Amino acid sequence: MNCERCQKNHATLHLTAMETDQKPREVHLCEECARQTGVTLKFNFPVSELLGAVVEPKAPSRAGQSRCPECGITYSEFKAKARLGCANDYEIFRAELLRLFEKVHGATSHAGKTPCTVEASIRKENELIRLKRDLESVVKSEDFEKAAQIRDRIRSIEIELNP
Amino acid sequence: MKVEELLSQTGEWLRGAGPESDVVISSRVRLARNLRRFPFLTVASLPVRAEIERFVRPRLEDGKFPRRLNYWSLTEVSPIERTLLVERHLISRELAQQEGERGVAVAGDESVSIMVNEEDHLRLQVIRSGFQLEEAFEELDRMDSSLEGSLNYAFHPKFGYLTACPTNAGTGLRISVMIHLPAVVLAKQMDKVLQSLQSVRVAVRGFYGEGTQPVGDFYQVSNQVTLGKSERDIVAEMRKVVPEILRFERSWRQKLLEDRPRQLEDKVWRAYGLLKNARRMSSEEATDLLSSLRLGIHLNILTKFPARTVNELFLFTQPGHLQKAERKILDADERDLVRAEFIRRRLEGL
Repeated sequence: MNCERCQKNHATLHLTAMETDQKPREVHLCEECARQTGVTLKFNFPVSELLGAVVEPKAPSRAGQSRCPECGITYSEFKAKARLGCANDYEIFRAELLRLFEKVHGATSHAGKTPCTVEASIRKENELIRLKRDLESVVKSEDFEKAAQIRDRIRSIEIELNP
Repeated sequence: MKVEELLSQTGEWLRGAGPESDVVISSRVRLARNLRRFPFLTVASLPVRAEIERFVRPRLEDGKFPRRLNYWSLTEVSPIERTLLVERHLISRELAQQEGERGVAVAGDESVSIMVNEEDHLRLQVIRSGFQLEEAFEELDRMDSSLEGSLNYAFHPKFGYLTACPTNAGTGLRISVMIHLPAVVLAKQMDKVLQSLQSVRVAVRGFYGEGTQPVGDFYQVSNQVTLGKSERDIVAEMRKVVPEILRFERSWRQKLLEDRPRQLEDKVWRAYGLLKNARRMSSEEATDLLSSLRLGIHLNILTKFPARTVNELFLFTQPGHLQKAERKILDADERDLVRAEFIRRRLEGL
């Protein structure tokens, strides 16, 4: 959603304005317009405090400059838009995101559903570990026929995991 | 199915039925999902957006999905029809307005919709009439599970489902319960509701009508936390929080009825009189008056008036619906005339 004032930047500030007639109205502003319109006075709490709840203001300056090699966005660009560019950003900006998650969600680790495709690949990786262990023991016992079978299975799983 | 065929129905969520329907209009649940092989839409170029749509669309339309879905590409849908889809809550205002290839897959009864290329590659939604969170979530979860077989979602073992905005990461689950709180508003108690919900990280938003004007006494209550809790825990928490608000609204309805019955009756019957006779009516005024009518029905002040009619009027007097029914573009003034006439006709004999 864009800022309702400048229509340009992403609105990072979503407020419910309680007017005198008691009907709440939603206001969507970007950081810059919020400052310019003096939203702080109207709503009785400082913008920085509010923004702190959405975006960590004190990210280290070096982090602000680091750029994701996949999508090309920097942490400063993320802060301005409040949107990430690709899945890889979750690794690139991990430290900053951990702080943000703590503030927004009060937690930093997923505790919900896992896609079946991921579950399947975890199962296959576990099977791979087991097969490699088995392979060692059958090679030791010189059961080469069995070893060949296990090797084939390992190869097919490796192809499935990295097509 | 064409978009205009929606005009011959009202959609599942507006039936005016379902549990707790005296206060709860609808229960909506949505999941935000992205595909691993594409960048997020924040940085996606127009050709990439088109590629995402080409990739996703056949997978939504194929028969393996639990429900048969109609896909509408929004570049092929007129602006009025896009407004109509927004008013139906099938797409967001943002999806209607943005550029590039994008679309929505909708089930016939409108209870299921999947937006393509909104803020995330996919936004899956299930909406039910009244307070039915578990039912809505179970259907949503089934849809998601059937889709993940053919779509490789962006998923991180620590952060869960990855979304363009980190405030949706983890489960990607947002629950929104639309509630009608006329007595709380009338008693000037809305502040209390807002404050208490803020403390449990539950957000309250208005339900918008035309433009960005607030709409009377309708509020959407939704969870803010999407990470660190399981989907079912999030559902269970909302299942606990919302009834508290319902109890509060009902106790104020009762108290207002006892303390100032004449004032309440007057408010309801005035609304009825205006709706039945006015010659010009803005969207905002109509919604305020319909809100009073709805209160009157649930307090048995209006005994023969079907709740469903009020719900239909909420929807069919919105700008997109009016213009689609009239089959032409109308400016705000013209809409006010058409709206008043539409309401008068619909209230004949009631």
